[in-house]
Amino acid sequence: VSGMRATYVRVIIVWLAVLTGLYLLQRYFS
Amino acid sequence: MHALDWVIVAVYLTWMIWDGIRLTRRSGELEGYFLGGRSLPWWAVGLSVMATQLSAITLIGTTGQGYADGMRFLQFYYALPIAMIVLSATLVPFFHNAKVFTAYEFLERRFDVKTRAFTGLLFLLSRSMSLGVVMSAPAVFLSVVLGLSVTQTVLLSAVPTILYTMLGGVQAVAWTDVKQMVLIVFGLVAAVVVLVMSLPADVGFVDALTLAGATGRMRLFDFRFDHTEQYTFWSGTIAALFLFCSYFGTDQSQVQRYLTTPSVAQARSSLLMSAYWKIPLQALVLLVGILMFAFYTFASPPMLFDARHDRELRDGPRAAEYNALDARFAAAAAARTAAAREVTEARQRGEAERLDAARETFNARDADVRALHDDARTLVRQVTRQADYNDVNYVFPTFITTRLPPGLVGLMIAAIFAAAMSTIAGELSALSTTSVIDFYRRFVRPVATDAHYLFISKVATVFWGALASVVAVRAADLSSLIQVVNQFGSFFYGSILGVFILAVAVPRANGNGAFVGLLAGMGLVAATAAYTNTAFLWHNVIGAVAVVIVGYIVSLLWKQQSTGIRNQESGNRAAPGT
Repeated sequence: VSGMRATYVRVIIVWLAVLTGLYLLQRYFS
Repeated sequence: MHALDWVIVAVYLTWMIWDGIRLTRRSGELEGYFLGGRSLPWWAVGLSVMATQLSAITLIGTTGQGYADGMRFLQFYYALPIAMIVLSATLVPFFHNAKVFTAYEFLERRFDVKTRAFTGLLFLLSRSMSLGVVMSAPAVFLSVVLGLSVTQTVLLSAVPTILYTMLGGVQAVAWTDVKQMVLIVFGLVAAVVVLVMSLPADVGFVDALTLAGATGRMRLFDFRFDHTEQYTFWSGTIAALFLFCSYFGTDQSQVQRYLTTPSVAQARSSLLMSAYWKIPLQALVLLVGILMFAFYTFASPPMLFDARHDRELRDGPRAAEYNALDARFAAAAAARTAAAREVTEARQRGEAERLDAARETFNARDADVRALHDDARTLVRQVTRQADYNDVNYVFPTFITTRLPPGLVGLMIAAIFAAAMSTIAGELSALSTTSVIDFYRRFVRPVATDAHYLFISKVATVFWGALASVVAVRAADLSSLIQVVNQFGSFFYGSILGVFILAVAVPRANGNGAFVGLLAGMGLVAATAAYTNTAFLWHNVIGAVAVVIVGYIVSLLWKQQSTGIRNQESGNRAAPGT
């Protein structure tokens, strides 16, 4: 179970990083 | 089309049939045919899930959307990773440990037969119609490119797919999906490379994005809270969460895929692959659209990307009006090109104030071009009496056929076939499984040999494939019927999620509550659609919440003797340690 929890946390961290990257992309080009 | 392109397309189609049939093991048993003997690796299942979801409409329509509207549509997918976590933690272990063939079979074990039959029937009705639509869109495009009739192009994608789905079952579907997914991604990356190389020598990738940004096409976040607006940050993260949980968690075409893995852990891994890759993949599709916008800013675009209607208008009774509009359009496009050059130069020299002014001018020139394009479309609507006419789906096909070198054209057409076939195969396999497991075996012949059920499921695959092909060929004539059925289907997406929430999270819920709740949820969504202009994504939230509330209350008031397993038995025991 703790292994799965770590996987979910990793997905959320990558998700937040992707959204932040996309937001910065919008800021840079808009 | 060049002979080399024909050869590539023919080799691709032959390879798919041969490969689909070659890779089937244990397809003589029910579990082998429907669930691949529960032995497929997670990565293959993960790619298969993504391939089924990425249809030819995505490849043709979404690139066009990127061209016309920019990256805004990406917001629709923002909640997908969270939906995958929710499903991995909740529904996946329930399905896997219940050892069911279909999602609806699970509902009978938990509730009763009427809930199972009703949800299964809704799936069969809505999915068979939407499959027709999914087949029809690329067939229309391919008929223009290949110079064949729509009937011929429908058959060209449907017959091979029906053949390998029928003979090989879900294993054939999953393994061909893997190759098709690789081909699609390769095609998209090739399109990006060719587009960047096709820009003028002094215009680079960053310049292209700067031009797109100046016209608002790089808007990736819209934080306005407007329930009538389809794609905002809020609808993409809250409302779409319900849609994705419903689609990936309760739709047989998706559920069947992760039931083919040997363990819950592998099923989760296959779903989480989409969590990582869906947003980047969709961004890649939209990027093709953005780059086509930059490309056509410098290479004068046609006023209408759809050559057939362009010819019709030029030869028709309003030709003079159309030609005058075309001349104004060419002048506006030239003015936009000049403004784009100014933006590029200012950016490359690092002159900030000049860049700001140039971006504003470019945006204004782009608005002129858009307005004339809108006038052209209005003219087509008046002449052809097609009220919803739009040429956005022709942008990418036009680029492929007029700007790509021989060889690459064949490859891109093969990629479009791949996108179409992977979706058709996944849906056909799910339709056949539901027909046999939830209806034939349940109501007609509860006891028979595997060979008998396999024979029936092959007949079902051919039946659904043939029905979807007829719907695809006659999509224009059947449009009102398709619309009704799809609307009906959209009413039930959120509602069916509500039923599954009741099943796994509300121990007191019973079959009567689930069934009445489902009807109430669908009714409420239908009323919302009829009397408000709430964006369709929010219907999923309304449906799911209504089912849970009504279902819970009815379950308390209308007791039912247990007809199936309770979730303590099926899920709670299974969930820990997996």
